[in-house]
Formats: sequence, structure tokens, C-alpha cells
Amino acid sequence: MQPILEPLLKIALLIVALMTGAAYLVLLERWIAAWVQDRLGPNRVGIPLTKYRLFGLGQPLADGVKFLFKAEFTPSHVDKALFFVAPLAIFITSIVVFAVIPFGSVLPPDGFPASWGIHEPIRLVAAPGVDVGMIYVFAVGSIAVYGVVLGGWASNNKYSFIGGMRSSAQLISYELPLGLGILGVVLASGSLRLDTIISQQAQAGVWNVFTQPLGFVVFCVAAFAEAARLPFDLPEAEQELVGGYHTEYSGIKLMMYMVAEFLHMVAAAFLIVILFFGGWHLWGVTGDQSGTGPFFGQQTSLANTPQAENMDLSPSETPAQGGQSHFRGGNAGEGTDAFPAAKIGTVPITWPVALLRIIVLLAKVMAVILFFMMARWSWPRFRYDQLMDVGWKVMIPWGLVNLVVVAVWMEYGDRLTRLLGVSPAKSMALVGWIALFMSWLVITVIDPTSSRNRPRPRLPAEGDFPERT
Amino acid sequence: MKPNDKNIAWIKEPRLGLAGRSYLLLFTKGLTTTLKHLLRRKQTVQSPEQRHELPNPLIYRGVHRLNRDEQGRVKCVACFLCATACPAHCIDIVAADHRSAAVPGPWPDREKYPQTFTIDELRCIFCGMCEEACPVDAIELTSLYDLSGKSREEMIFDKEKLLSVYDQTKDAEPMKTKRMKDEGFTDLRPLTSDF
Repeated sequence: MQPILEPLLKIALLIVALMTGAAYLVLLERWIAAWVQDRLGPNRVGIPLTKYRLFGLGQPLADGVKFLFKAEFTPSHVDKALFFVAPLAIFITSIVVFAVIPFGSVLPPDGFPASWGIHEPIRLVAAPGVDVGMIYVFAVGSIAVYGVVLGGWASNNKYSFIGGMRSSAQLISYELPLGLGILGVVLASGSLRLDTIISQQAQAGVWNVFTQPLGFVVFCVAAFAEAARLPFDLPEAEQELVGGYHTEYSGIKLMMYMVAEFLHMVAAAFLIVILFFGGWHLWGVTGDQSGTGPFFGQQTSLANTPQAENMDLSPSETPAQGGQSHFRGGNAGEGTDAFPAAKIGTVPITWPVALLRIIVLLAKVMAVILFFMMARWSWPRFRYDQLMDVGWKVMIPWGLVNLVVVAVWMEYGDRLTRLLGVSPAKSMALVGWIALFMSWLVITVIDPTSSRNRPRPRLPAEGDFPERT
Repeated sequence: MKPNDKNIAWIKEPRLGLAGRSYLLLFTKGLTTTLKHLLRRKQTVQSPEQRHELPNPLIYRGVHRLNRDEQGRVKCVACFLCATACPAHCIDIVAADHRSAAVPGPWPDREKYPQTFTIDELRCIFCGMCEEACPVDAIELTSLYDLSGKSREEMIFDKEKLLSVYDQTKDAEPMKTKRMKDEGFTDLRPLTSDF
């Protein structure tokens, strides 16, 4: 039963958690908005028909019920089929992305009743073992653009259309830096699998944000833009566009757009944490490698891409005291890899560690989401030309620089490491921070984003506007 | 409008310095500002449990009331000055001459009294001109600000309702003439103008 029941349970858990999570993130967003503006925020709705207010925790339920019972109006001039498909496209893809995003490490098999027949560790991903995890995320995530474009087009309304056009331009422009930002990480870890990327960082004990700060900046900015959060919220610039592409939507279709927007933010936060902040890893708390061994191949050496999975290895068959001692220390001789190549055995994971990892991962994601929400009120929105300038003239060059720096370091970094006499991670971090500083300095000096499109105090010359005949 | 119009002031956009162009300073500034506000004391007044503290209830222009004199009679003498002064025409008075009435009222010292006195609170713009016009300080604006009702009819206040507003508020807000005597004012004007 396990092969069928387990994924179904995980999917059910994931969808329920995402839906309630999105609802409560709306509440959190409103709270933070209120607190930043010296207000209290929603604090009235509690348990219905009683006087218990629970700090307003009933608000998401009330919002959801309100949305469901609102009149769902379809204007007569819209393209009915596309009008219906567009919110579905963005909503479904925003959920489906989470199939490969891990929400923890693994659960040990030994806590369950014997009748359940669980002998293998349970991996906390809806679709475990997808080798092209990152590509999947990007492929599915890109479909979200269709929701925006189709919504704007199907509405058959010039303002929705303008909103849809400029947001599709934004989303497509920022796909490039988003991809460039992760390329460095993929190159350094040698895998496209999200769980492998986490375990690489955990085993090295160094998060990618320290070794590739430039890549992190590029990815973070691009993730903000992809999630259409301020200061990149041109798709639905509330003050100017009357809602942008979803002007004509109401009722449950509008709710789909709203929920999808929050799920994009959650997905972006998960990706930032997994790719750059070590996922579930926290020094000295989460056990650097227990439970990671048999799932990613016996060797985590970078030269070897992860082998085919060897799920038959149950932890009881493997040496229980494998690598813990011999990971951090004794691999100075094998300095050719970005991270120490440890030929580790398998340390079976314990329940406290498994739960701690879930908590650590979710806490990190929450912290990133809080930053997303604070950022909304901290900086003014970019103008459209500034948005494009930042995307094309700053973020893409930075992403390329990061990629080149990481690639060169992967090839020649061992010489630098030997020269400096430090650990590989330290020399990589040194190079990474120098790259960040230099490229930031270059952008600051040449200032490609300053606008030269201001009106000039000059009368139109004779030939500027040729007369129509 | 042409670019050489005299009314256009052309401003040259100041070029940002190195710190500004690096965006780092602006980044930290924005974030520290929001963080400061996040932890600051909140301004919200949790109405209706908490009430707004009015800066000066004496000059606040809220719901009307009709004052009573020492014997508990309505002070109004039905002179129509308030209805005349009202720019929104929301005051409607039917005067009665109590000497010629079938049942004489208990007002031997007055010529007229208001048989009905209605204010349409929905039409009222709360300008306070009725209060200024009244020669006997019968109509006054209280500091009650949360006026609401479930129907339009409910919001048309008659004489009894306006007198009941007085009964409700007389302790918290004594009549302005009385208050002024206590505070040593002789002239009415400082209270009704903004001071």
C-alpha cells in the first residue's frame, strides 16, 4: 500500500497546508501592513457566534466565505473559454510547483505501527526523486505567465490588456535572471535535485548564500519580480491599473488569482531557502548528514552525479556510525571539489532530528516571507522603464558574472585554496564576495538605470513632427 | 502647452551621488524605517470599546440637543432663527402660541413655544450655525459623534428625542452658558469660534 497511499497522503497534506497557509498569509500580510502603518490590523473576527476574538484568527475563514458567496460576474464581452482557463492556469501551476519542493528531510520508518508496513524512510516531498527538480520548477512556474497574459487578453478590455501585457513583459524578463541565479548553485552542487542541493550544503556546513552572494542577490530580486511583489508589483499596481490583468474578475476566479499570488510568494521563499540558505540545515542542531546518505548515492563527491536510487538499503543494514566523525575533518587531501568529498556511510535519522529539520526549514521560509512582506512597505515601486533597466542591465549581467565566477572557481579553485591555505568553502566565499563587491561597484559607477527620458525644455524643431498631408 | 511656456518651471533632476546610486543606503533606510514603525506604539483607537478623546469637546459639533431650563421645560422660544440660519434646511419648527392654545402651557413668561421641533440629522451638515443663531441657547451641538440608525425615519429627530439627548449629555457636558459662567467668560463668542 505504501507506494500509493504515501504520495496521496503527502499530496493531501500539501494541498491542505498550502490552502490554509495562503489564507493565513493574507492575514499576516494585513497585520504587517497595519503594524508598519502604526495600526493594529484585523483583530475582531474569532469564533463565529461567540465573543471570542482570538486576535482575529477567524479572519481568513470569513474572507474565504465572503469570496465564495460573492456574485461571480462574467462580462458579456469576454472570451468565455479563455476567461475561465486563465485563473485555472495560474492557480493549478502554482500548486503543482510544490510537487518537487521538499518540506522537510525524511521521516524515520521506525515510529510507525508494524501493520502499516513502512520499512523505508519517508521522504517529505510529494514527488521524491525527480532528477530534474529545478527544471520542473522553472517549466511549471513559467506557465504562470499564461494566466496573466490570457487573463488580460480574455477580458477584452483595454486596461486589462495593458496590465496583462506589461506584466507578461516583466515576468518574461525576470525569468532570465532567475535562471542565471540558480545556475551557479546547480554548477556548484552538480545536481538539479532540490534535496541533493540541500544535503550538499548541509554536508559542507556552508550555505550557498555565503559562497555565492551575487547569485543570491540576483535570484532574490528576480524571485520578488516573479512573485509580482512590491517593489515589482507592476502586474497589479493597485493605484494605477485598477487591478491590472484581473480587473474583470470577481468571486472565486479572483480568489484563485489572489491565492496563486500568495503561493508564488511561498514557492519563491521555499526556493530561496533551499537553494541559498541550506534548506533544513542549521549548524549543530539538525545533524549534518544523518538520513541523507542512501538517497543520494553513497558518495556525495561532486565528480559523481547522484546515482540511481538505492532504496533497498534500509538503515539497519548500513553502518550506523559512519561519517559523523570523518566528514568535517579528514578530507583535506581531496581538495579538488567545491565541498569536501566525504565517502560517508548512512547514519539513520532519528525522530527528533527529523522534526527539527521540518521546523528549521519552515522557520527559515517564514523568515523569508516576513522579509517579503516588510519589503512591500520599505521601498517605492520601480517605474516601468526602471524595472526593465534593473532586469536587463543589472540583474542579467550580474547573473552572468556569477555563473562565470563559479565556473572558473570550480575549475581552478583548488589552486587558490592551496595558495591561501584555507578550506575550499572559504576560498569560494572570498571569490564570491569579491565578485559581488566588484560588480556592485561597476553598476554603481556606470549607473545604467538612470533615466534619460525626462522631457526637455526645448520647442519641437521644424522636422520633429512631420505634417500629415 | 508648449515647452517654452512661462508657467512651466523646468527642474533639473539632481544626479544621485555614489551612495544613492548603489541603492544600499536607500535599501537600509527603507528597511529601518519600516522596522521602527513595526515596533512603535499603535495609534488605533479600538472603537466602540475605546472612545476617541476629542481635543476640545466644547467646540466639537456632533449630535444636536435641545436644552431645558431650570424647571425642565424646553428652552426654545420658537423664534425660527436657527431654521433660518440653517444652510441645509434641516430644521422644521411648528410654533404654538401658548396663550391662545386650548390647553395653556406652563409658560407664562413666554409668548411662543415649539409644538414640534424636528431636525433631519441625515440632511444636517453639522455646521453649528443653529447654535450660533439661537438667542436663548436652546439648541446646542454635543460631542456625540457616532450617530447611526437603521432607517431614514429613525434619523429624523423630534423634540422628545432631542430633549433626551440633553438628558443623556447634561452631566458630561453642561450647558455652554453655565460652563462659561463657571469659567468666567462674559462674551459668548470665544466659545463658538475656534479658540
